[in-house]
Order: sequence, then structure tokens, then C-alpha cells
Amino acid sequence: MTTDARLVDTAFTRYDGPRAGRAAAIWSLARWSALRALGARRGWKVKVIPISLTLLAFAPALVILGLRALFGTSSITRNVINALPYSNYVSTVSIIVLVFSVVITPELVCPDRRDRTLSLYFSTAIGRFDYLAGKLLAALMPLLLITLAPVLLLYVGTILFSVHPLGYVQHHDRDLFRIIGSGLIVALFYALVGLAISSLTSRRAFAVGGYLAFLAIPTVIGGALGHALNSPHLRLLAFAAAPIKAGQGLFPGYTDKGNIGPWVWGSVAVEVSVVALIVLLVRYGREQA
Amino acid sequence: MSSGGALVEVNGVVKRYGSVVALDGISTRIDERAVGLLGANGAGKSTLMRTILGLIRPDEGSVNVMGMGLERSWDIRRRLGYMPEHSALPMGMTARDLVVHMGELRGLPRRVAVLRASEVLFQVGLEEERSRLIRTFSVGMKQRTNLAQAIVHSPSLVILDEPTNGLDPAGREEMLTLVRRLSSDLGIAVIMSSHVLEDVVRTCDSVIVMREGRIAATRRIAPAGDEQDAGVQVQVEGDVGRFVQAATALGLRTERRDGWVLVDGPDAASVLRGVRDAACSAEVGLLQLRPAGPTLEESLIGAIG
Repeated sequence: MTTDARLVDTAFTRYDGPRAGRAAAIWSLARWSALRALGARRGWKVKVIPISLTLLAFAPALVILGLRALFGTSSITRNVINALPYSNYVSTVSIIVLVFSVVITPELVCPDRRDRTLSLYFSTAIGRFDYLAGKLLAALMPLLLITLAPVLLLYVGTILFSVHPLGYVQHHDRDLFRIIGSGLIVALFYALVGLAISSLTSRRAFAVGGYLAFLAIPTVIGGALGHALNSPHLRLLAFAAAPIKAGQGLFPGYTDKGNIGPWVWGSVAVEVSVVALIVLLVRYGREQA
Repeated sequence: MSSGGALVEVNGVVKRYGSVVALDGISTRIDERAVGLLGANGAGKSTLMRTILGLIRPDEGSVNVMGMGLERSWDIRRRLGYMPEHSALPMGMTARDLVVHMGELRGLPRRVAVLRASEVLFQVGLEEERSRLIRTFSVGMKQRTNLAQAIVHSPSLVILDEPTNGLDPAGREEMLTLVRRLSSDLGIAVIMSSHVLEDVVRTCDSVIVMREGRIAATRRIAPAGDEQDAGVQVQVEGDVGRFVQAATALGLRTERRDGWVLVDGPDAASVLRGVRDAACSAEVGLLQLRPAGPTLEESLIGAIG
């Protein structure tokens, strides 16, 4: 019988060098997963949406910096800058953040369930909770590209274009920590919620639908009931807004239409995140390898 | 090494799923380069393999793999290769990407993983298809990819769960050839499960038969033509008495039993020559000739159940 598979005399070298530990395995899982979710080593159709959304998220920062470069500190530039302070950047691109997380997070976990790849992963140095850590990291990295990187670019660009860069840094040094904190809060929330909902199904379409329903339906109901009953606290059902409002609360001059404090929004974001984390722990803690 | 150099040592392992006892006090020591786990579906083969990998915690007993206990299960898995029974390959990845990725997850530095991925894909005959998406592969190619990911990190031991499952005869032939060469040419110890005795006989040095969560039998598999027992059983047509006399005259030991003549001698070759010569001189026809002792299959058939 003729067969295609054969072992030829090419040496099969033994590898006796150093082997990395669990942290490296988690990082490897996170890196591969994040890159694949962004479309790396895949067809152009998969790349289009993440790249377009990323460019859109950077657009406001690029426009402002472009105006600074063209017109210096003219009144036009000042008006544009004042219209989009650091505190409002993420809320301005909030719909992009939402769509981006809807695109990215199901892609991180649904194919593993669909193809039953989990048993393969669990046969390596990766355990159940290592897998979760890797996927959470994989979701965070692209999301930070949307929630943190554009604002950081705006901050650095503003420093470079200012008349006295050092003086600007001295006066706005706390803004850097606020920007990082705000970006992390939003990214962590969307990563946890997106992964939790996606972990419930192997079908990406169901995960996308479930995710949108979870964020949209309470927002609509809360908004309608809040208006009808004149109860602004029902707006807290707008889960998607909770981390953004909490992030805005890190900056001075926070305002809210319903006079709901940032800590209240923050507590909603924390509660939803904790529930999402519990869902993930239960879902993967029971997973059979 | 606490296990005295054994690849795997399993002591009194019990695993229950509710009222079902999947492993019922299993104890065994695996030293051979290639060991087959043989048994019907549900005999406990996969559960034992997953316990060795540290994927399943036993309710009782201990497992020691290459000197490491299950408390270091992640370290064990980093040094072992595993090929699951069912396809668990990500369909949207290329074979090369998957093998590199699995190499990294098992502790290889990235550059080494890339080099070794090309090497093992060549070894399993997938060098031309390495950049194709796995979803476009045939079942046989998927199984070979599955094998490549299991050995990319140069494991000391690879665990293969039903590697010929779902393969057509040609694919099965390819897979058995590859599995045999893992231990004989590439120096990787193999534990392979199957419910087909022939697969185990062709690829392994010994066989452990499992039945209802217990070890029902353990046998070494002698290389072809190297059986310990030289005797044969012969059924002849004609004068059986003359045949016995002729064989005895040639220095062979004979015994008549249930219509058969048991013939024994110093070695297999002289017994077969003696039977031929005795049949000629007694002018009888040979109807059947078979080993005197039970074949491996006969000795295991009762154990398999």
C-alpha cells in the first residue's frame, strides 16, 4: 500500500533547552488570541472592521492634533479642544467602543467552543483559570487600543504642540493618570461583559445578539421608565454607560443630566463586572478538558 | 525520581462520576517505550489518560509521571504531548500556526517553536500543506496535524487517544506507521489507546487491557517471529499414528489431544522442519498448523470482554 505520510531520514532533533512557565503560556495565548481577533494572519474581510473602527476611534484625536499643527493656538483650535476634553473622549467614541467589543470578544472564545479546542489548550501548561486570564488579557489589549491609546495620543500631541511643553506637563500631570484609569475601567468592563456573554454560546452570531441585547434592552427600558416615572436613577440600567460615566468621574468638572454621581455609576459598573466574572468562573471552572 | 525511573506510575487510582466508577483502583507501572491501552468503549482508557495528564483529579490514589506528582500537573503537561480522541483543532488556523502556537503554550520560545513546527510538519508529511487552513484538510491530514502539535515541543512521552479513530484504511495505515516510528525512530515514548488489538500489536511493546475501569490483563508483545513458545498444534489427514512416530523419530516431543497433535522442539524453526519432514515420511496431509499456546488475541479476548 502506498501512503503519503512517511518519516524520512531528516533528523528529528530533541529540544533540551529552557522551557518557559505558565506566565509565558498565558501571554502567548493572549497575544495569539488578540492578534487573530484583530484579523492577523486571516483574510482581509476579517481585518476591515477592526481596522476601520480603530481608525475611527483615533479620528477625533488626529483631527484635533491636525488643527493644532495647521492653525496653532488660534480660536478655532481652542474651540475644538474645549469641545472635546480628555474626560469626554471615550464617551464621544462610546458607540465605537461598543461595536468594537461586540466584534472582538465573541471572536476570542466562541471559535474555541465551536471547534472544541479547549481540550487541546487544557492539555498544555494552560489550566482553566490560566485560559480565562489569557482571554481577558486578549480582550483588554485591543480594547485599550480604542479606550486608551487615542486619548494618550491626544495628551502627548497636546504636550508637543503646546508653547511650553514642560509647563503643560506640570499643570496636567494628573490628567495622565485619569486618562489611564478611565481607559482601563471602560476596557475592563467591556472585556468582562463581552467574554461572559460570549462564553455562553459557541455561535458568534448568538454572542453578538446576546451582548447587544444585554446592553441595549435595559438602556431603552430604563430610559423610558425613567422619563415616564420621572426617576433619573432608572437611567442606571444603561449598563453600557456605567463604566464611561465612572471614568469621567475621575476628571474634575464631572456633570450628569440626572445628577447621578460617578461613584453610583462606578458601583453599577463594578456589580455588572463582578457578575460577568462569576459567569466566566462558573462556565470555565466546570469545563471538561 | 520517586518512581524509580518509571515513565508513569499509577497507584490505586479511583475516579467516580456520580454512581459510575470510571477507574476502579487502577495500579500499573509503565516502563516500555510504547504501551497500548486496549479496551471497549467506556472501559476507562480515556479517563486513565486524562488522569495521567493531570486533567482529571483522581478521587483516590496517586499518579507519578516522570518523577512528578499531579500537584505539578501543569509542569507534567508541558513535558507531555497529547493527541485527543476527537478533533479539537481550530478550523480557522493554518497547520503551521497551530503547531507554532501549541509549541509556545508548552513552553518553547517563539523562535524555537517556529523552527520545530516546520520540522514536525515535515516529519508527518504535511510540509506542502502547512499554510492551508485546517478546515480544508481531510480527516487523515487533520489527524496528522493533531499528531504534529502533540510532538512539536519534543516531549518525552506522548499520549495518543484513539489516533486511528475515523480514518479510512489508507489513513489508518499512515497513522500506525507514524505512531510506531515515534518510539522506534524518534525516541518518544508512547501511550496509545485503541479498541483494535491489531493497532496495538503493530505499534506497541506491551498492552494493558482495561475492562470496566480495571486492568484486566497486561502482556508484553513479542516481535514477529520471536515468540517464546516454539511448539505447534497440527491436524493431519491420514494415519495420525505414523505421523506421531515419524515426528518422534526426528527427536520432537509429541502429544495427541482432541484430534490435534502437539509438537514441540528446541526452537520454532526445527519444529516446523520436523513437522514438514514427518508429514512427508508418514505420507499424511497437513490440514491445520497453528501455535501450540494461545495467541495474543486468544489470551486477551476474555480479558477484553
